[in-house]
Amino acid sequence: MSIGLVKTAASDWFADAISGWDRFWFTPRLPHTLGVIRIATGLMLLYSQFVIALRLGDFLGDQAWVNNATIAGLHRGDFGSSDAARSYLWNLNSPSAIWLNHIVTMAASACLAAGFLTRFTAPLAWFLQLMLVHRLTGTLFGLDQITTMLAMYLMLAPSGSVYSVDSYLRRRMVESKRTTDFKIWLFPAATPSVAANIATRLAQLHLCVIYLFGGLWKARGTTWWDGTALWFAAANAQYQSLDLTWIGRFPVIFSALTHLTVFWEVFYCALVWPKHTRPLMLAMAVAVHGGIALFLGMITFGTMMIVANAIFISPEWISKLTTPKR
Amino acid sequence: MSGSRVAAPADILISPPRQASIGFRIVASVLIIGHLWAVVGRPIEFATQGPFGTSPSATLFRDPVRAYSQFTYLDHGYAFFAPDPGPSHLVAATVTAKDGKVTELMYPDLGDQWPRLMYHRHFMLSEFLNNIYHPPGEPPPDIANNPAAVRDWRMARRRYESVRDSILECLRKQHPDCEITIRRLQHRQPGLPEFFEDRIALDDVRLVTTLLDEIEMPELPQASEALPTNAVVPMLSPNVPQVAVPRSTVPRSAVPRSTSVEEIRPIRDEAAPEDRVPVADAAEGN
Repeated sequence: MSIGLVKTAASDWFADAISGWDRFWFTPRLPHTLGVIRIATGLMLLYSQFVIALRLGDFLGDQAWVNNATIAGLHRGDFGSSDAARSYLWNLNSPSAIWLNHIVTMAASACLAAGFLTRFTAPLAWFLQLMLVHRLTGTLFGLDQITTMLAMYLMLAPSGSVYSVDSYLRRRMVESKRTTDFKIWLFPAATPSVAANIATRLAQLHLCVIYLFGGLWKARGTTWWDGTALWFAAANAQYQSLDLTWIGRFPVIFSALTHLTVFWEVFYCALVWPKHTRPLMLAMAVAVHGGIALFLGMITFGTMMIVANAIFISPEWISKLTTPKR
Repeated sequence: MSGSRVAAPADILISPPRQASIGFRIVASVLIIGHLWAVVGRPIEFATQGPFGTSPSATLFRDPVRAYSQFTYLDHGYAFFAPDPGPSHLVAATVTAKDGKVTELMYPDLGDQWPRLMYHRHFMLSEFLNNIYHPPGEPPPDIANNPAAVRDWRMARRRYESVRDSILECLRKQHPDCEITIRRLQHRQPGLPEFFEDRIALDDVRLVTTLLDEIEMPELPQASEALPTNAVVPMLSPNVPQVAVPRSTVPRSAVPRSTSVEEIRPIRDEAAPEDRVPVADAAEGN
């Protein structure tokens, strides 16, 4: 009898788990949140690549800070273990070829931001960004991690179906009443889709992983426990953009903010899902990353982390927000 | 995906959401699990490093997705400002022209690298050079009988030298016909008592040390402690006003030459595992 009960319980658990997995991943979702994130990610990629272009020769080619031979050796294992990062940019020496490639890269990012032929330009923008980051080893930081990650998930979904040139072209196509299957695929409708849901879920879970390990790493330190970490971040001259050292006069405040940061990072992965705690988690994200953007000189990184957190905002809410009232 | 033209009234172009087929769900689920495996693989491996290396089970867990995560740039530890917000590392370059004129350059330098993102790229470069630093000379006796360890020791040094020489080459391109030397600097933050009681400003040269290229010395106490006496570098000349130096950078005029300071090893935080792991991790900045 008891074995039968265990079997039933196990069977129910299994069926429930499968059903939950199915709902989580395969419930169609509107693309509006992804549409907003697409614009921000495309613009940030474009800006980052524009800044590289200001001193292109210092970053790409044989006379860069880290030249082609060294960068290839770093990844191919000439100085230790190899890795699977590869980039054709390791072989690009001619300034004109480097410029041409960079212009194409920036154009793809611009198309991603504008949502122009997104079915093609989103994968292209991701791939070209990937090639760029594998060439820029040594000069990369969190901004590159988050923009490349978002570009990857945006290409999986019809993120260009809303707030985009593609949506305008689709309206024109519908009005003309002349279309083809290819055009219908190329300019998808801004309707709920499984692809949008999968891309959203992957980005959400990825963000949870980032915060969990960010928090766990902090928990290995001492200053995050004794409450002085915020002071040492504020007192770093190379990071500082606005003076935050005045906070050192308020130990209760800076230590509380230090502890709150660790708590928020570690528990984000659990508390961002329930609807009652989600707004608090997202508000903390805006506060923490807004602080990093303003005071620690990383306005690009701080902005993109806030943008990434928008992945938890309901597309229906964004749709209502952006639809003009009649 | 046919190319045939069809009449297309708006109502038939917007079909109701399609449910995914069972086959699609199974294939997609396998791919999703594989991708999430890659997403967590590197952070787990990175977080499970200790004094004796990486946890073997974490390495085994990551191995099947290692190449995928590396190629797709998912291989990060996400240790932002962790385990503790540590000191900054900079590169100072001395450019000596043929006529003897000496120019001091600093990387990063807000006055030279603009916009802020450009500055931050140079900041990450100087941090990268520090992260991959490996001392010269023969391997220590305790690994001398381990051929693999000796090989790793020598390769790590070659890695540092290769990047250092590449940076030097780039500087030579920018300053032809000049003699150029570079030094790694460490700029630590002042502790609270130093800042508020001793009035040591963030850009005070006493917080800056030159990191010499030599065999490791015993480590010094944590940066948050009171200023170690042997870390003190020559004070600014009284006629060099501190207010004249750019904020957020080390004052160039006061940067010590490597020969004029006492020996000091970098004060390392526990992020040091990055030094012993592949290049992608050494490159990881905030």
